[in-house]
Amino acid sequence: MVERFSTSAIELPPPERPFDRADLIFYGLDHSGPSFEAQVFFDPRGVAREADAEHRAYVGSFFVFGHGGCFGDVGHCDIPSERDPFDLRPPHQLEPATRIVTVTDALRALLKRDVEAAKVTVIARTAARTPADVLAFETVRLATYA
Amino acid sequence: MSTASPSAVQAPRALRHRRSARRLTAGQLADLRGAVSAAQAIGDDRGYQRWAGIHGLPLPISCTHHNELFLPWHRAYLYLFEKALQERVPGVTLPWWDWTDNHAEGIPAAYSRQRVEGRKNPLFDSPIQPAGRERPSQTRTQRAPGAPGRLPTPAEVEAILGNRDFLTFQTQLESIHDGVHVWVGGTMESIATAAYDPIFWAHHCMIDRLWYLWQLRHPGAGIPARLLDRALAPFPLTVRQTIDASSLGYDYAATTTAAAGPGHG
Repeated sequence: MVERFSTSAIELPPPERPFDRADLIFYGLDHSGPSFEAQVFFDPRGVAREADAEHRAYVGSFFVFGHGGCFGDVGHCDIPSERDPFDLRPPHQLEPATRIVTVTDALRALLKRDVEAAKVTVIARTAARTPADVLAFETVRLATYA
Repeated sequence: MSTASPSAVQAPRALRHRRSARRLTAGQLADLRGAVSAAQAIGDDRGYQRWAGIHGLPLPISCTHHNELFLPWHRAYLYLFEKALQERVPGVTLPWWDWTDNHAEGIPAAYSRQRVEGRKNPLFDSPIQPAGRERPSQTRTQRAPGAPGRLPTPAEVEAILGNRDFLTFQTQLESIHDGVHVWVGGTMESIATAAYDPIFWAHHCMIDRLWYLWQLRHPGAGIPARLLDRALAPFPLTVRQTIDASSLGYDYAATTTAAAGPGHG
Protein backbone atom coordinates (compact mmCIF):
# COMPACT_ATOMS: atom_id res chain seq x y z
CA MET A 1 0.00 0.00 0.00
CA VAL A 2 1.24 3.48 -0.85
CA GLU A 3 -0.07 7.03 -0.52
CA ARG A 4 1.17 8.16 -3.94
CA PHE A 5 1.94 6.34 -7.16
CA SER A 6 3.03 7.49 -10.60
CA THR A 7 2.74 5.07 -13.51
CA SER A 8 5.17 4.86 -16.35
CA ALA A 9 4.21 7.11 -19.24
CA ILE A 10 1.05 5.96 -21.05
CA GLU A 11 0.99 6.47 -24.78
CA LEU A 12 -1.70 8.93 -25.85
CA PRO A 13 -3.86 8.30 -28.92
CA PRO A 14 -2.74 9.95 -32.16
CA PRO A 15 -4.09 13.51 -32.47
CA GLU A 16 -5.84 12.70 -35.74
CA ARG A 17 -8.10 10.11 -34.07
CA PRO A 18 -11.22 11.98 -32.88
CA PHE A 19 -13.00 10.99 -29.66
CA ASP A 20 -16.09 12.07 -27.76
CA ARG A 21 -14.94 10.85 -24.40
CA ALA A 22 -11.78 9.66 -22.68
CA ASP A 23 -11.63 7.64 -19.46
CA LEU A 24 -8.88 6.57 -17.11
CA ILE A 25 -10.04 3.21 -15.79
CA PHE A 26 -8.44 1.86 -12.64
CA TYR A 27 -8.60 -1.90 -12.22
CA GLY A 28 -7.81 -4.07 -9.22
CA LEU A 29 -8.34 -1.43 -6.54
CA ASP A 30 -7.96 -2.54 -2.95
CA HIS A 31 -10.79 -1.50 -0.61
CA SER A 32 -9.93 -3.48 2.51
CA GLY A 33 -8.71 -0.55 4.60
CA PRO A 34 -10.00 2.92 5.50
CA SER A 35 -12.13 4.93 3.08
CA PHE A 36 -10.23 7.41 0.97
CA GLU A 37 -10.29 9.87 -1.90
CA ALA A 38 -7.81 9.26 -4.71
CA GLN A 39 -6.82 12.44 -6.52
CA VAL A 40 -5.68 11.80 -10.07
CA PHE A 41 -3.16 13.78 -12.09
CA PHE A 42 -2.27 13.33 -15.76
CA ASP A 43 0.99 14.89 -16.84
CA PRO A 44 4.12 13.97 -18.82
CA ARG A 45 6.39 14.37 -15.78
CA GLY A 46 4.21 13.15 -12.91
CA VAL A 47 3.52 15.32 -9.85
CA ALA A 48 4.87 15.63 -6.32
CA ARG A 49 3.06 14.35 -3.23
CA GLU A 50 2.09 17.89 -2.20
CA ALA A 51 -0.06 18.35 -5.33
CA ASP A 52 -3.75 18.96 -4.77
CA ALA A 53 -6.88 19.76 -6.75
CA GLU A 54 -5.48 23.18 -7.64
CA HIS A 55 -2.57 21.62 -9.55
CA ARG A 56 -2.72 22.15 -13.32
CA ALA A 57 -2.36 18.41 -13.94
CA TYR A 58 -5.31 17.49 -11.69
CA VAL A 59 -8.01 15.71 -13.70
CA GLY A 60 -10.44 14.51 -11.05
CA SER A 61 -10.79 12.04 -8.23
CA PHE A 62 -12.54 8.86 -7.23
CA PHE A 63 -13.62 7.59 -3.85
CA VAL A 64 -13.28 4.20 -2.21
CA PHE A 65 -15.66 3.26 0.62
CA GLY A 66 -13.41 0.98 2.63
CA HIS A 67 -14.03 -2.02 4.83
CA GLY A 68 -11.91 -0.49 7.58
CA GLY A 69 -9.80 -3.57 8.23
CA CYS A 70 -10.52 -7.20 9.02
CA PHE A 71 -12.91 -8.13 11.82
CA GLY A 72 -12.52 -11.88 11.52
CA ASP A 73 -9.92 -14.45 12.45
CA VAL A 74 -6.75 -15.21 10.53
CA GLY A 75 -7.52 -15.76 6.85
CA HIS A 76 -11.00 -14.21 6.98
CA CYS A 77 -10.11 -11.45 4.53
CA ASP A 78 -7.88 -13.47 2.22
CA ILE A 79 -9.30 -13.43 -1.28
CA PRO A 80 -9.30 -16.97 -2.74
CA SER A 81 -6.73 -17.21 -5.51
CA GLU A 82 -8.87 -19.63 -7.52
CA ARG A 83 -12.61 -19.99 -7.88
CA ASP A 84 -14.41 -23.24 -8.66
CA PRO A 85 -16.54 -22.62 -11.79
CA PHE A 86 -19.41 -24.44 -10.04
CA ASP A 87 -19.20 -22.19 -6.97
CA LEU A 88 -22.48 -20.24 -6.95
CA ARG A 89 -21.72 -18.34 -3.78
CA PRO A 90 -21.29 -14.56 -4.05
CA PRO A 91 -17.76 -13.32 -4.77
CA HIS A 92 -15.47 -12.60 -1.83
CA GLN A 93 -16.21 -9.24 -0.21
CA LEU A 94 -12.75 -7.94 -1.01
CA GLU A 95 -12.63 -8.77 -4.71
CA PRO A 96 -10.90 -5.71 -6.19
CA ALA A 97 -12.88 -2.69 -7.38
CA THR A 98 -12.88 -0.68 -10.60
CA ARG A 99 -13.10 3.10 -10.81
CA ILE A 100 -13.44 5.43 -13.79
CA VAL A 101 -12.29 9.04 -14.09
CA THR A 102 -13.41 10.83 -17.23
CA VAL A 103 -10.57 12.93 -18.63
CA THR A 104 -11.88 14.06 -22.01
CA ASP A 105 -10.90 17.73 -21.71
CA ALA A 106 -7.57 16.96 -20.08
CA LEU A 107 -6.59 14.56 -22.85
CA ARG A 108 -7.55 17.09 -25.51
CA ALA A 109 -5.40 19.69 -23.75
CA LEU A 110 -2.40 17.34 -23.67
CA LEU A 111 -2.78 16.51 -27.35
CA LYS A 112 -3.02 20.20 -28.17
CA ARG A 113 0.38 20.62 -26.51
CA ASP A 114 1.75 17.82 -28.76
CA VAL A 115 2.24 15.55 -25.76
CA GLU A 116 2.64 11.93 -26.88
CA ALA A 117 2.71 10.15 -23.50
CA ALA A 118 1.76 11.07 -19.93
CA LYS A 119 2.06 9.61 -16.45
CA VAL A 120 -0.92 8.98 -14.22
CA THR A 121 -0.22 9.99 -10.63
CA VAL A 122 -2.63 9.03 -7.87
CA ILE A 123 -2.49 10.49 -4.36
CA ALA A 124 -4.72 8.91 -1.73
CA ARG A 125 -6.13 10.96 1.11
CA THR A 126 -8.39 9.82 3.92
CA ALA A 127 -11.19 11.90 5.40
CA ALA A 128 -8.68 13.80 7.51
CA ARG A 129 -7.36 15.18 4.16
CA THR A 130 -3.92 13.77 4.83
CA PRO A 131 -2.04 11.43 2.48
CA ALA A 132 -2.26 7.83 3.70
CA ASP A 133 -0.84 4.43 2.74
CA VAL A 134 -4.13 3.00 1.50
CA LEU A 135 -3.63 2.93 -2.27
CA ALA A 136 -3.16 -0.25 -4.27
CA PHE A 137 -4.34 -1.04 -7.79
CA GLU A 138 -3.29 -3.43 -10.54
CA THR A 139 -3.46 -1.30 -13.67
CA VAL A 140 -4.85 1.86 -15.16
CA ARG A 141 -6.02 2.08 -18.75
CA LEU A 142 -6.68 5.10 -20.94
CA ALA A 143 -9.65 4.50 -23.21
CA THR A 144 -11.19 6.86 -25.75
CA TYR A 145 -14.61 6.54 -27.32
CA ALA A 146 -15.83 7.94 -30.63
CA MET B 1 -42.11 -6.87 -20.28
CA SER B 2 -38.85 -4.94 -20.41
CA THR B 3 -36.34 -5.76 -17.73
CA ALA B 4 -34.66 -2.41 -18.09
CA SER B 5 -37.00 0.26 -16.80
CA PRO B 6 -39.58 1.16 -14.21
CA SER B 7 -43.08 0.70 -15.60
CA ALA B 8 -45.13 3.70 -14.56
CA VAL B 9 -48.05 2.44 -16.64
CA GLN B 10 -48.39 -0.59 -14.43
CA ALA B 11 -48.63 1.30 -11.18
CA PRO B 12 -50.19 -0.86 -8.49
CA ARG B 13 -53.09 0.60 -6.57
CA ALA B 14 -51.10 1.08 -3.38
CA LEU B 15 -47.95 2.55 -4.95
CA ARG B 16 -46.10 4.70 -2.41
CA HIS B 17 -43.88 7.67 -3.09
CA ARG B 18 -40.46 8.19 -1.62
CA ARG B 19 -39.99 11.89 -1.01
CA SER B 20 -37.16 14.33 -0.56
CA ALA B 21 -36.02 14.52 3.06
CA ARG B 22 -36.21 18.29 2.74
CA ARG B 23 -39.81 18.29 1.59
CA LEU B 24 -41.49 16.03 4.11
CA THR B 25 -44.62 17.42 5.71
CA ALA B 26 -44.69 17.58 9.49
CA GLY B 27 -46.88 14.50 9.52
CA GLN B 28 -44.64 12.51 7.19
CA LEU B 29 -41.59 13.38 9.27
CA ALA B 30 -43.39 12.45 12.47
CA ASP B 31 -44.33 9.09 10.93
CA LEU B 32 -40.71 8.46 9.92
CA ARG B 33 -39.41 9.34 13.36
CA GLY B 34 -42.09 7.21 14.95
CA ALA B 35 -41.24 4.22 12.78
CA VAL B 36 -37.49 4.46 13.42
CA SER B 37 -38.05 4.90 17.16
CA ALA B 38 -40.35 1.91 17.26
CA ALA B 39 -37.85 -0.21 15.30
CA GLN B 40 -35.06 0.88 17.67
CA ALA B 41 -37.15 -0.32 20.59
CA ILE B 42 -37.34 -3.87 19.23
CA GLY B 43 -34.46 -6.15 20.11
CA ASP B 44 -35.32 -9.08 17.86
CA ASP B 45 -35.02 -9.68 14.13
CA ARG B 46 -37.66 -7.06 13.33
CA GLY B 47 -35.64 -4.28 14.90
CA TYR B 48 -33.34 -1.53 13.66
CA GLN B 49 -30.18 -3.11 15.00
CA ARG B 50 -30.77 -6.30 13.05
CA TRP B 51 -31.30 -4.41 9.80
CA ALA B 52 -28.31 -2.12 10.32
CA GLY B 53 -26.15 -5.12 11.14
CA ILE B 54 -26.86 -6.87 7.84
CA HIS B 55 -24.78 -4.28 6.00
CA GLY B 56 -21.67 -4.62 8.13
CA LEU B 57 -20.91 -5.87 11.60
CA PRO B 58 -21.64 -8.28 13.16
CA LEU B 59 -20.10 -10.69 10.65
CA PRO B 60 -20.90 -11.74 8.02
CA ILE B 61 -20.70 -8.44 6.18
CA SER B 62 -23.42 -8.97 3.61
CA CYS B 63 -23.48 -5.75 1.60
CA THR B 64 -22.17 -5.75 -1.93
CA HIS B 65 -19.80 -2.96 -2.81
CA HIS B 66 -17.36 -2.60 -5.65
CA ASN B 67 -19.01 -5.34 -7.67
CA GLU B 68 -21.78 -5.78 -10.23
CA LEU B 69 -24.60 -6.20 -7.70
CA PHE B 70 -24.15 -2.88 -5.89
CA LEU B 71 -27.39 -1.23 -7.01
CA PRO B 72 -29.72 -4.27 -6.98
CA TRP B 73 -28.49 -5.42 -3.55
CA HIS B 74 -29.04 -2.03 -1.96
CA ARG B 75 -32.46 -1.68 -3.61
CA ALA B 76 -33.46 -4.98 -2.00
CA TYR B 77 -31.99 -3.84 1.32
CA LEU B 78 -33.92 -0.54 1.32
CA TYR B 79 -37.11 -2.30 0.28
CA LEU B 80 -36.97 -4.80 3.12
CA PHE B 81 -35.95 -2.21 5.72
CA GLU B 82 -38.81 -0.01 4.55
CA LYS B 83 -41.16 -2.97 4.92
CA ALA B 84 -39.91 -3.41 8.50
CA LEU B 85 -40.64 0.28 9.19
CA GLN B 86 -44.09 -0.05 7.63
CA GLU B 87 -44.86 -2.80 10.11
CA ARG B 88 -44.32 -0.19 12.81
CA VAL B 89 -46.06 2.74 11.05
CA PRO B 90 -48.20 1.75 8.06
CA GLY B 91 -47.57 3.76 4.92
CA VAL B 92 -44.26 5.28 5.99
CA THR B 93 -41.62 5.50 3.27
CA LEU B 94 -37.89 6.19 3.25
CA PRO B 95 -36.98 9.72 2.14
CA TRP B 96 -34.00 10.60 -0.04
CA TRP B 97 -31.25 13.09 0.71
CA ASP B 98 -30.44 15.10 -2.39
CA TRP B 99 -26.83 15.93 -1.61
CA THR B 100 -26.50 17.90 -4.85
CA ASP B 101 -28.89 20.47 -3.41
CA ASN B 102 -28.46 22.99 -0.60
CA HIS B 103 -24.77 22.40 0.06
CA ALA B 104 -24.82 25.17 2.64
CA GLU B 105 -27.10 23.06 4.83
CA GLY B 106 -25.24 19.79 4.24
CA ILE B 107 -27.08 17.08 6.13
CA PRO B 108 -30.82 17.85 6.03
CA ALA B 109 -32.29 19.40 9.15
CA ALA B 110 -34.53 16.38 9.67
CA TYR B 111 -31.37 14.36 10.37
CA SER B 112 -29.05 16.98 11.86
CA ARG B 113 -31.20 18.30 14.71
CA GLN B 114 -30.18 16.59 17.91
CA ARG B 115 -33.50 17.10 19.62
CA VAL B 116 -37.02 17.72 18.35
CA GLU B 117 -39.93 18.83 20.48
CA GLY B 118 -37.97 18.23 23.64
CA ARG B 119 -37.00 14.66 22.78
CA LYS B 120 -34.03 12.96 21.16
CA ASN B 121 -34.27 12.93 17.39
CA PRO B 122 -34.07 9.27 16.31
CA LEU B 123 -32.73 10.40 12.91
CA PHE B 124 -29.75 12.20 14.47
CA ASP B 125 -27.95 9.13 15.72
CA SER B 126 -28.42 5.54 16.81
CA PRO B 127 -27.04 3.08 19.32
CA ILE B 128 -24.67 0.46 17.92
CA GLN B 129 -25.11 -3.04 19.28
CA PRO B 130 -21.97 -4.45 20.96
CA ALA B 131 -21.33 -6.94 18.16
CA GLY B 132 -21.65 -4.14 15.59
CA ARG B 133 -18.84 -1.98 16.94
CA GLU B 134 -15.39 -1.60 15.42
CA ARG B 135 -14.09 -0.84 18.90
CA PRO B 136 -15.74 -1.17 22.31
CA SER B 137 -16.10 2.58 22.85
CA GLN B 138 -18.21 2.98 19.70
CA THR B 139 -21.57 2.81 21.47
CA ARG B 140 -23.42 5.32 19.26
CA THR B 141 -23.13 6.61 15.73
CA GLN B 142 -21.37 9.91 15.12
CA ARG B 143 -20.61 12.12 12.13
CA ALA B 144 -17.80 14.45 11.07
CA PRO B 145 -19.13 16.18 7.94
CA GLY B 146 -16.71 17.65 5.44
CA ALA B 147 -16.78 21.09 3.82
CA PRO B 148 -20.19 21.70 2.19
CA GLY B 149 -18.59 22.55 -1.14
CA ARG B 150 -17.20 19.02 -1.46
CA LEU B 151 -20.56 17.32 -1.85
CA PRO B 152 -21.43 16.13 -5.38
CA THR B 153 -22.77 18.72 -7.81
CA PRO B 154 -25.74 18.45 -10.19
CA ALA B 155 -23.27 18.56 -13.11
CA GLU B 156 -21.37 15.54 -11.78
CA VAL B 157 -24.60 13.58 -11.39
CA GLU B 158 -25.82 14.67 -14.81
CA ALA B 159 -22.61 13.39 -16.42
CA ILE B 160 -23.09 10.00 -14.77
CA LEU B 161 -26.76 9.76 -15.75
CA GLY B 162 -25.63 10.21 -19.35
CA ASN B 163 -23.90 6.82 -19.42
CA ARG B 164 -25.84 4.34 -21.52
CA ASP B 165 -24.06 1.24 -20.24
CA PHE B 166 -25.40 -0.02 -16.90
CA LEU B 167 -22.10 -1.26 -15.50
CA THR B 168 -20.30 1.98 -16.36
CA PHE B 169 -23.15 3.99 -14.86
CA GLN B 170 -23.11 1.84 -11.74
CA THR B 171 -19.32 2.11 -11.29
CA GLN B 172 -19.37 5.88 -11.60
CA LEU B 173 -22.41 6.25 -9.35
CA GLU B 174 -20.74 4.07 -6.73
CA SER B 175 -17.72 6.39 -6.67
CA ILE B 176 -20.01 9.35 -5.94
CA HIS B 177 -21.76 7.20 -3.33
CA ASP B 178 -18.41 6.38 -1.73
CA GLY B 179 -17.55 10.08 -1.65
CA VAL B 180 -20.69 10.95 0.29
CA HIS B 181 -19.91 8.23 2.84
CA VAL B 182 -16.47 9.81 3.27
CA TRP B 183 -17.99 13.30 3.42
CA VAL B 184 -20.40 12.38 6.25
CA GLY B 185 -17.46 10.77 8.03
CA GLY B 186 -17.50 9.06 11.41
CA THR B 187 -19.64 5.94 11.51
CA MET B 188 -20.69 6.41 7.88
CA GLU B 189 -17.11 6.23 6.70
CA SER B 190 -16.74 2.49 7.29
CA ILE B 191 -18.62 -0.32 5.57
CA ALA B 192 -18.65 -2.14 8.90
CA THR B 193 -20.77 0.47 10.71
CA ALA B 194 -22.33 2.82 8.14
CA ALA B 195 -25.87 1.46 8.21
CA TYR B 196 -26.30 2.18 11.91
CA ASP B 197 -26.37 5.91 11.11
CA PRO B 198 -29.95 6.90 10.18
CA ILE B 199 -28.63 9.16 7.39
CA PHE B 200 -27.36 5.99 5.66
CA TRP B 201 -30.88 5.13 4.53
CA ALA B 202 -31.55 8.61 3.10
CA HIS B 203 -28.19 8.56 1.31
CA HIS B 204 -28.91 5.18 -0.26
CA CYS B 205 -32.41 6.24 -1.17
CA MET B 206 -30.79 9.02 -3.24
CA ILE B 207 -28.55 6.44 -4.92
CA ASP B 208 -31.58 4.25 -5.61
CA ARG B 209 -33.46 7.27 -6.96
CA LEU B 210 -30.62 8.04 -9.37
CA TRP B 211 -30.78 4.47 -10.66
CA TYR B 212 -34.53 4.95 -11.08
CA LEU B 213 -33.95 8.21 -13.02
CA TRP B 214 -31.30 6.50 -15.15
CA GLN B 215 -33.80 3.75 -15.98
CA LEU B 216 -36.34 6.33 -17.09
CA ARG B 217 -33.75 8.09 -19.22
CA HIS B 218 -32.40 4.95 -20.90
CA PRO B 219 -35.40 2.65 -21.38
CA GLY B 220 -33.52 0.41 -23.80
CA ALA B 221 -30.56 -0.13 -21.52
CA GLY B 222 -30.46 -2.55 -18.65
CA ILE B 223 -28.62 -4.96 -16.45
CA PRO B 224 -26.66 -7.68 -18.31
CA ALA B 225 -28.80 -10.80 -18.69
CA ARG B 226 -26.19 -12.98 -16.97
CA LEU B 227 -26.88 -11.11 -13.71
CA LEU B 228 -30.68 -11.21 -13.71
CA ASP B 229 -31.14 -14.46 -11.81
CA ARG B 230 -28.40 -13.86 -9.27
CA ALA B 231 -29.60 -14.05 -5.67
CA LEU B 232 -29.16 -11.03 -3.42
CA ALA B 233 -28.19 -12.81 -0.22
CA PRO B 234 -29.38 -12.76 2.49
CA PHE B 235 -32.58 -11.39 0.95
CA PRO B 236 -35.21 -13.55 -0.74
CA LEU B 237 -34.91 -11.61 -3.99
CA THR B 238 -33.05 -11.90 -7.26
CA VAL B 239 -31.62 -9.07 -9.34
CA ARG B 240 -34.54 -9.43 -11.74
CA GLN B 241 -37.03 -8.73 -8.95
CA THR B 242 -35.38 -5.40 -8.14
CA ILE B 243 -35.38 -3.90 -11.61
CA ASP B 244 -38.87 -2.43 -11.58
CA ALA B 245 -39.32 -0.26 -8.48
CA SER B 246 -43.07 -0.08 -9.05
CA SER B 247 -43.27 -3.85 -8.65
CA LEU B 248 -41.79 -3.29 -5.19
CA GLY B 249 -44.55 -0.80 -4.45
CA TYR B 250 -42.81 2.57 -4.67
CA ASP B 251 -41.58 5.24 -7.01
CA TYR B 252 -39.80 8.58 -6.93
CA ALA B 253 -42.43 10.69 -8.66
CA ALA B 254 -41.60 14.36 -8.12
CA THR B 255 -45.28 15.15 -7.86
CA THR B 256 -48.30 12.94 -8.10
CA THR B 257 -52.02 13.60 -8.30
CA ALA B 258 -54.94 11.37 -9.20
CA ALA B 259 -58.62 11.51 -10.07
CA ALA B 260 -61.20 8.78 -9.96
CA GLY B 261 -62.36 7.27 -13.26
CA PRO B 262 -65.93 6.28 -14.17
CA GLY B 263 -65.47 2.79 -12.76
CA HIS B 264 -66.86 -0.31 -14.40
CA GLY B 265 -70.35 -0.35 -12.94
